[in-house]
Amino acid sequence: MTTRTPRRIDKAGLLIALVLLALAGLIWQDMSSLQLSSVYGLGPKAMPMVVSVGLAILGVGNAISALQGGLPERESLDWKPIVLIIGGLAILIACVKFNVGFIPATAVLFACTAAAFGRRAFITDLVIGFAAGLIIYLLFAKLLTLSLPMGPLERLIGA
Amino acid sequence: MSQYRKGLWRGMLAAAAVAGFVTSASAQMAELKIMAPAAPGGGWDQTARSMQQALTQSGLAKNVQVTNVPGAGGSIGIAQFVNGAKGDGSQLMVMGYVMVGALLTNKSPVTLDQTTPIARLTGEYEAIVVPANSPIKDAKDLAAAVKADPAKVTWAGGSAGGVDHIAVALFAKAVGADPTKINYIPFSGGGESLAAILGGKVTAGISGYGEFESQIKAGKLRLIGLTTPAGKGTAEMPSLKDQGVDLEIANWRAVVAPPGITAEQKKVLTETMDKMAKSKEWTEILKQKGWDDAYQSGDAFAKFLTEDQTRTKEVLTSVGLVKS
Amino acid sequence: MDSLFALAHGLTVAVQPMNLLFALIGVLLGTAVGVLPGIGPALTVALLLPITFKLDPGGSIIMFAGIYYGGMYGGSTTAILINTPGESASMATALEGNKMAKAGRGGPALATAAIGSFVAGTIATLGLAFLAPTLVELAVQFGPEDYFALMCVAFVTVSATFGDSPVRGLTSLFIGLALGLVGIDKLTGQARLTFGVPELLDGVEVTTLAVGLFAVGEALYVASRRHIQEEVVEPVRGSLWMTKEDWKRSWWPWIRGTLFGFPIGALPAGGAEIPTFLSYSTEKRLTKYPEEFGKGAIEGVAGPEAANNASAAGTLVPLLALGLPTSATAAMMLAGFQQYGLNPGPLLFAERPELVWGLIASLFIANAMLLILNLPLVGLWVKLLAIPQPWLYAGILVFATMGTIAAKPSVVELTMLGAFGLLGFLMRRFDYPIAPVVVGLILGPIAEAQLRRALSISLGDPMVLLQSPISATLLGIAVIALVLPFVLKGLNRFKMQED
Repeated sequence: MTTRTPRRIDKAGLLIALVLLALAGLIWQDMSSLQLSSVYGLGPKAMPMVVSVGLAILGVGNAISALQGGLPERESLDWKPIVLIIGGLAILIACVKFNVGFIPATAVLFACTAAAFGRRAFITDLVIGFAAGLIIYLLFAKLLTLSLPMGPLERLIGA
Repeated sequence: MSQYRKGLWRGMLAAAAVAGFVTSASAQMAELKIMAPAAPGGGWDQTARSMQQALTQSGLAKNVQVTNVPGAGGSIGIAQFVNGAKGDGSQLMVMGYVMVGALLTNKSPVTLDQTTPIARLTGEYEAIVVPANSPIKDAKDLAAAVKADPAKVTWAGGSAGGVDHIAVALFAKAVGADPTKINYIPFSGGGESLAAILGGKVTAGISGYGEFESQIKAGKLRLIGLTTPAGKGTAEMPSLKDQGVDLEIANWRAVVAPPGITAEQKKVLTETMDKMAKSKEWTEILKQKGWDDAYQSGDAFAKFLTEDQTRTKEVLTSVGLVKS
Repeated sequence: MDSLFALAHGLTVAVQPMNLLFALIGVLLGTAVGVLPGIGPALTVALLLPITFKLDPGGSIIMFAGIYYGGMYGGSTTAILINTPGESASMATALEGNKMAKAGRGGPALATAAIGSFVAGTIATLGLAFLAPTLVELAVQFGPEDYFALMCVAFVTVSATFGDSPVRGLTSLFIGLALGLVGIDKLTGQARLTFGVPELLDGVEVTTLAVGLFAVGEALYVASRRHIQEEVVEPVRGSLWMTKEDWKRSWWPWIRGTLFGFPIGALPAGGAEIPTFLSYSTEKRLTKYPEEFGKGAIEGVAGPEAANNASAAGTLVPLLALGLPTSATAAMMLAGFQQYGLNPGPLLFAERPELVWGLIASLFIANAMLLILNLPLVGLWVKLLAIPQPWLYAGILVFATMGTIAAKPSVVELTMLGAFGLLGFLMRRFDYPIAPVVVGLILGPIAEAQLRRALSISLGDPMVLLQSPISATLLGIAVIALVLPFVLKGLNRFKMQED
């Protein structure tokens, strides 16, 4: 049991509650735009209603626990690694979208994630990621005939 | 996005080769990619893989790859196909009657008019069955039951708005009941709906004949009728039309090519299909799978496709599956 | 005794050197592809089907059996080692398995998964051989209302994954339910919460959500805390193999898992996920070491893994006895059968007994082969954890994205993976349990569809839920499962005079 010392209001907790309420509203709004209904029994609106109402109640519940400071203590947060990893993912998605190919995309994601975990040798990691991507590509695309995104490089190997 | 996908799905096997690989109009095609806009195992996938088998074994094409782009009754596949394979004369997509309906119910921005129709391959008639211990013996009994109270006759079939659903709506219409009042229960897969019929959870079931064949032969299901044309029925395979229910519908499957291909490319693809349809291998597969040959290519098929789209839209709207 | 004779004959067919080779190839390929998150056995079978055109029916179906089991096993290996469930059914395995791996007990976790799979697979295959015709009669009696009641039982047991705050647990569950709404409504064909994005029409892929929340979310969380606390992973602490104690704690979970997995897998709409959840929460309730749950309890790996494998054999019951393909892989196997002009169904056992028993026998062989192949590999797998942390997590991310790319190649899918990763990170930071989200996504849509089917058939009369004996029984179990913990807690409190 945590000691019941009065804590200050948890702003992040309130934000979570707000997000839940917004989600409930979104589901409700989407539900009310449904045109067709089932002829017999329950229609397509019943489940969204249940989920929406449930989320709204839980939103209130979360707000109460945030006001009471019921959320667990959190340690300080280092945003840099998060930005690095999400950035790596974003570059990977861009690579896939713009046909840069699987291997370079993999190399970038690998190096970014490694950097997020404290590695300083970005170029080395890029090379390692590249090699890993190449091996995975050859193994899965060639041997197991899975289709992976192709860029100029992959086409070169494939030809 | 589309560009990447084109590349992606081309990647199966060793073929990163460049598009438009057709060597000459009369000889074999070096490379052909067939997209099944559905998950592995379904009807379109089986059609694509059967084509693969027939084309390679008969030597009409050297290297045939099948790719699966599942999603939303083919809506995802066609969007990718139309955008990503534009002008590529070495690609085909399997599609069928279900896609016509799915594109309408999903309000898809891409339509079949954007593809280049090549050929219709197979058709499968719908079969209506009841559990073996059902009091319903033939189409007349079923028609009477539906007419008396459509709510009390529950139907198990495939996805909402699909060919099974349309056929049931047409059945109600044909027997003089209100088609918007049918009690149709869509199931996710053939297995699930078949189990519901065998377990007697529903009054009747509807699907392609092949789905029910072994159960009918084993005496677990009773065949009420097929949606075949009048006069085509036999004692074992009764036609609904012969039993006085004016319902004729076939779940056809066809292939289309990407938009923007040249007349020459279209000719090569059409000729390849023509030859495949006549090949020994293809005939064998049709027999094996119990698919009916419904081959039609060229302008006749293009005309058929346009007409069927119009007709389907009318049906779906009239039974309330699509709000106009 | 006819069955026994037929099975013996089937075994002699399956142990022919060529057939053994096919089984080996199948198991290897299945494992290789099964480790990829998102790529299930179905796609592998689909890819391999053309290769088998020239094989004889017996050989290629034996290969399929190997792929099927191999794929299931591959999924749990990554779930345990890198918290990346290869398929939705190995999610429950990841819960305790990965905690064990991080505590240096990856070896015993993998071993109990492998041996549990073998035990479960063997028992379930025996069940398939001798009970299939009876079981299938029962399975088709399961109506929509009964499935709904089964989902209710599963929902109740989810609370086992809630952690210490019911409000936060329920919040997680409802987020999962909300995600489950996305896509085409099965009963009316309308799009819900898709916002005009066609890729969302088929709903949120369970593996994308699970991999995002588990693998990506965890990578983000660990990275964000590095400046406070370096995560130390010891590949091996204590024994690499299962100790006597581990064996003792694994036996019953294996058996119970099998008892959940096989019958539910045999239901035409049963699936593999529900038995794994049921097994997990049962083990959590029954264990003598409740304090270990959430920190790496071996029962939490042994039970769900056994359930997973047993349900795979269960799926073959409706396929062989009725010709009902109830999973994507089963549908591919059906296509394989048809390729040779065979129609699974009520007549198959009578018409082609040598093939049916050959298949059942080859399931035994594939199972044994998996065990022989994987146990020596345990030491090697565990070494993976000795990779320096930056590279290990970089590798996990590469793996997670590549699985998503290969399964559903779209930018939308990858973006969802990233978004779920962030969600997983935030949920960890604010101490919301993760598993209920995935459970909500899996169970919500099934429960909704089955309830609506039941009510459509009954023309809106809810009494149908109580009129069916199966449904009434299951609902009763659900109520008991809901109330019992409170009663027991009260009793304990009373007994111990504590708190």
